[in-house]
Amino acid sequence: MLAEAWSALRVNRMRTGLTMLGLIIGVAAVIAMLAVGTGARNAVNDVVASMGSNLLIVRSGPQMSGGLRFATGSAPTLTLGDADAIRALPGVAAVAPGSGGAVQLVYGPSNWSTMALGTNPDYLSVRNWSLAAGSNFTEAEMRGAARVAILGQTVAANLFGAADPVGRVIRISRSPYLVIGLLAPKGQSFGGSDQDDTVLVPVTTALRKLFGSEFADSVRYIMVQGDSPRVLGQVQDEIDALLRQRHHISARKEADFNVRNMTEIANAAASTTRVMSLLLGAIASISLVVGGIGIMNIMLVSVSERTREIGLRMALGAKPADVLQQFLVEALLVSLGGCVLGLAVGIGTIEVVKRLFQLNSQVTAASVLIAFAVSLGVGVFFGFYPARKAARLEPIDALRYQ
Amino acid sequence: MRPAAAGRTEPAADHAGEALIRTVHLGKRYLLASGALQALADVNLEIGKGEFVAIMGPSGSGKSTFMNVLGCLDVASDGEYYLQGRAVSTMDVNERAEIRNRLVGFVFQSYNLLPRLSTLQNVGLPLVYAGVARHERDGRARRLLEQVGLGEYADFLPPQLSGGQQQRVAIARALVNDAPLLLADEPTGNLDTHTSEDIMAVLEGLNRERRLTIVLVTHEADIAAHAPRLIRFRDGRVEEDLRGGDAATIHRLDQ
Repeated sequence: MLAEAWSALRVNRMRTGLTMLGLIIGVAAVIAMLAVGTGARNAVNDVVASMGSNLLIVRSGPQMSGGLRFATGSAPTLTLGDADAIRALPGVAAVAPGSGGAVQLVYGPSNWSTMALGTNPDYLSVRNWSLAAGSNFTEAEMRGAARVAILGQTVAANLFGAADPVGRVIRISRSPYLVIGLLAPKGQSFGGSDQDDTVLVPVTTALRKLFGSEFADSVRYIMVQGDSPRVLGQVQDEIDALLRQRHHISARKEADFNVRNMTEIANAAASTTRVMSLLLGAIASISLVVGGIGIMNIMLVSVSERTREIGLRMALGAKPADVLQQFLVEALLVSLGGCVLGLAVGIGTIEVVKRLFQLNSQVTAASVLIAFAVSLGVGVFFGFYPARKAARLEPIDALRYQ
Repeated sequence: MRPAAAGRTEPAADHAGEALIRTVHLGKRYLLASGALQALADVNLEIGKGEFVAIMGPSGSGKSTFMNVLGCLDVASDGEYYLQGRAVSTMDVNERAEIRNRLVGFVFQSYNLLPRLSTLQNVGLPLVYAGVARHERDGRARRLLEQVGLGEYADFLPPQLSGGQQQRVAIARALVNDAPLLLADEPTGNLDTHTSEDIMAVLEGLNRERRLTIVLVTHEADIAAHAPRLIRFRDGRVEEDLRGGDAATIHRLDQ
């Protein structure tokens, strides 16, 4: 019976091919869209993971001066004392203060301009960051405001080329600093900036020696890592209450700080990409439906062209169910053929896209299954009406059909 | 539906045994846009097993409609039709398909072979619907092709054969299921005189050797002359039913 259907389809090779084309495009589109969607989601997930997990960021609030409000983080209201107080809260795993500014680095004949960040040893674990070489800040270095630095990959490459920077002495804003570590590569941040273009120094060193501000204790932000995603909301409220108390701000007044949940932002980004993939999938599905209508159209033509054949088969003993089956099998063969070819085209397209754009996209087994299931469904759904039309013919009318 | 009138004498098959075909007050009415058309009216016929019957009549006389009803391609609107004693008139679509498959072989004027199937596959087609496995199907089809003298043409496609050869393939197909009844609707209509005689010889041989019952519709008197019994239709009714010598006389008068 499959052979029968095959020979019937082979008679009209051109027509069968064109009918399949609609489905080929549809299936290829579904496969490609799903893969690109997965790729986009993977990319977002990578960026989110590089930011650090279960992360809250406390920033100092906008500065008020004569009714004018300045940028968030500009008011020197957060202190190292605040950071220590937050560390004592339940549900907090680690706390890393941050205070930084632009600096000029010099090593021998090379020099490089970058952002220096004063922080503490917990910064690495909060950011999910590891060291490629060397060691983290020690307690003694923190307490003594030692002139030590950990370099980011971009900075190391610009100052040292391929050589190992650990143990060398560089100049940061003219003072000598010992390089004690090299950060692992991190890549782009959420905003698209190079996270490897940085140099870390102890926060005490930054505050007292590197930048030497008049508010000796104030930091720009405090990163807080929660124990788990579930406690983040609670920790956020606790930090709010704690800092209001420490800063003597009543609950009704505007705070001079704000606490942001980075996981929420990451989730928002993830749901944006999910909506995008859904949208792409929907567009691709529409082309599948259009392909299905193409099948129905051609099957209807085929039924009326082969009315006499149907009549003859009935005269020779074919029951309505036999005729129905014959045309359904033909429709299924066309849709499955289109599906297989469409898979090939879709997977090929994704391979090319991967090479060209270095997109981390994969054709998943699920999307292949979906494509198969939908093609089968399209074949049965759009093949059924023409097949039933054929099966319901009266043998004598079909035989006499001109 | 009219009740079968009791006591009415129905024509009896003279030389054949039990009746293969029996119709009682058979009628067929078509509803057309211009009104009802009575294609068949009150046809009471018996055709015995092994008979060779020619049916003649002007176009529109109902002879084709009668053939279609006999072959279960069409359903009568009145009366009853018994084939091998089974009441066909009350059968549903699937039962009629089975009757066509097992009891009736068709030979058409235009051969009706499927052009993309080999002659072997064409001959075996009824067996597909009888659920016969491929191997046995091919074996039986091959034997029948040999019987009609086309053994070497098994792998040919119908368009590669002459009209006479195609009609022989169609006859082989009609025989492949060992059906007791062969219905031939103008089987020589598309053939020249010489080939027509060939085909008629094949049919006569089958009637003689297999006791195959053959009902043949034709409008050519010399074709009808091959049949010992002649039934003439006019205006949907049986006008004449002649046998043996009578039939031969009429044939001569027609020519």
